[in-house]
Amino acid sequence: MSLIHCARLSKHFGETPVLHDIDLTVEAGEVVVIVGPSGSGKSTLLRCLNVLEPLTSGTLEVDGKRLGERGASKRAIRRETGMVFQQFNLFPHMTARENIMLAPRKVRGLSRQQAHKLADELLARVGLSERADHLPSELSGGQQQRVAIARALAVNPKVMLFDEPTSALDPELRGEVLEVMKRLAADGMTMLIVTHEMRFAGEVASRLIFMDHGRIVHDGNPRDLLDHPPSERFADFLGHVRV
Amino acid sequence: MDFRWDVVWNALPQMVEGAQLTAWITLLGIGGGMIIGTLCGLVLAARVPVLSWIVFVYVSVIRGTPIVVQAMFIYFALPLATDIVLSGFVAASLCLAMNAGAYITEIVRGAVQSIDPGLHDAGLALGLSYPQLMMTIVGPLAFRRTIPPLGNQFIISLKDSALFLVIGVAELAQKGEQLTSQTGRALEIWTAVAVFYLLMTFTLAMIMRLIERRLTIL
Repeated sequence: MSLIHCARLSKHFGETPVLHDIDLTVEAGEVVVIVGPSGSGKSTLLRCLNVLEPLTSGTLEVDGKRLGERGASKRAIRRETGMVFQQFNLFPHMTARENIMLAPRKVRGLSRQQAHKLADELLARVGLSERADHLPSELSGGQQQRVAIARALAVNPKVMLFDEPTSALDPELRGEVLEVMKRLAADGMTMLIVTHEMRFAGEVASRLIFMDHGRIVHDGNPRDLLDHPPSERFADFLGHVRV
Repeated sequence: MDFRWDVVWNALPQMVEGAQLTAWITLLGIGGGMIIGTLCGLVLAARVPVLSWIVFVYVSVIRGTPIVVQAMFIYFALPLATDIVLSGFVAASLCLAMNAGAYITEIVRGAVQSIDPGLHDAGLALGLSYPQLMMTIVGPLAFRRTIPPLGNQFIISLKDSALFLVIGVAELAQKGEQLTSQTGRALEIWTAVAVFYLLMTFTLAMIMRLIERRLTIL
């Protein structure tokens, strides 16, 4: 059974259509990179997949739970999807460890000690054990994003959604975040990544999706698509981002 | 004109009495105002249907009328319209609570709405419920941001309590008026009254400063 399945998913902001009839199926273990010009709807698609944006129409199924059916509330779906944001969005009044501990305690019902242990394991995994007691404001952008990844992993999601995770970072800080994501992919995590990092897409993605004007234009093997762009539009887009 | 210290000295016991009453009215006023303001502010921030509209009317009425008129209304008009007769002290405290509540409503609404929507998203994406999101993230962050404007409002409320001399409550300003007519020494009495108010507002400001220093505003 596929992990994510959406059919004829559409999203309008008021009168403005942002996504048109998106059909998308993602299997467990896939690393899907989504690219496209700004305003193509790629971020909105990610936000629809964990229902941060309500769908205008269409169906969404995550891990066999179909949105709107019994036992498939928004919260039930969000528990199975971890999300990493462009602006990190760490809770500024909590230390790195507390940021990670919050959801396991409130959502998964872990005890304080269990959550503490889990947080320390995840901090070690993203290489930030010695920063556990620091507030977000005391961390670099790259470190903040690594804590945010650990925080999303803490609810033990089935799939991780990354919304331009390196776009707000200085170039020299991007590597450490991409490194953590590479390791996640190698561990077999299912991932959907909206990014402009084409090299990362070429190296890590098992599948590449090109979106334009709210539609999926290409969907296939990253090497094939990158080496032989099947359309003028995609070739054009690659020309812009590869500079 | 010379300044007669003995007038101040003799008036002191009565002034302390008045200051105590002022302190009580202010305490009840801002305490009640905090309860009203927090609830109403959350109603506005969450855009609760119907209730938001009621809160909007309440805030508009209080902000649109002078507090003297509100005090007169509660003390003199309310007993005529209903059977509710309040003592001066209760009327004053209630009036101050209603008045402060309207302004605190706006302070709370503003603070809640100033929290980065990205933090909402992050909390919801983790699977938190709306009440959990409010209790653990939005609430604590918004609370810190209310401290400076609340300090301002508390001081305004304390000084506004002087207006309750119009309904004969024996708070500090009313005592000042009594003592002036008893002694005929306006200079000494009003200087002393001013110093009393200054001491009280200064204390309040210091308390708020302490709270502000203990909670980093994020």
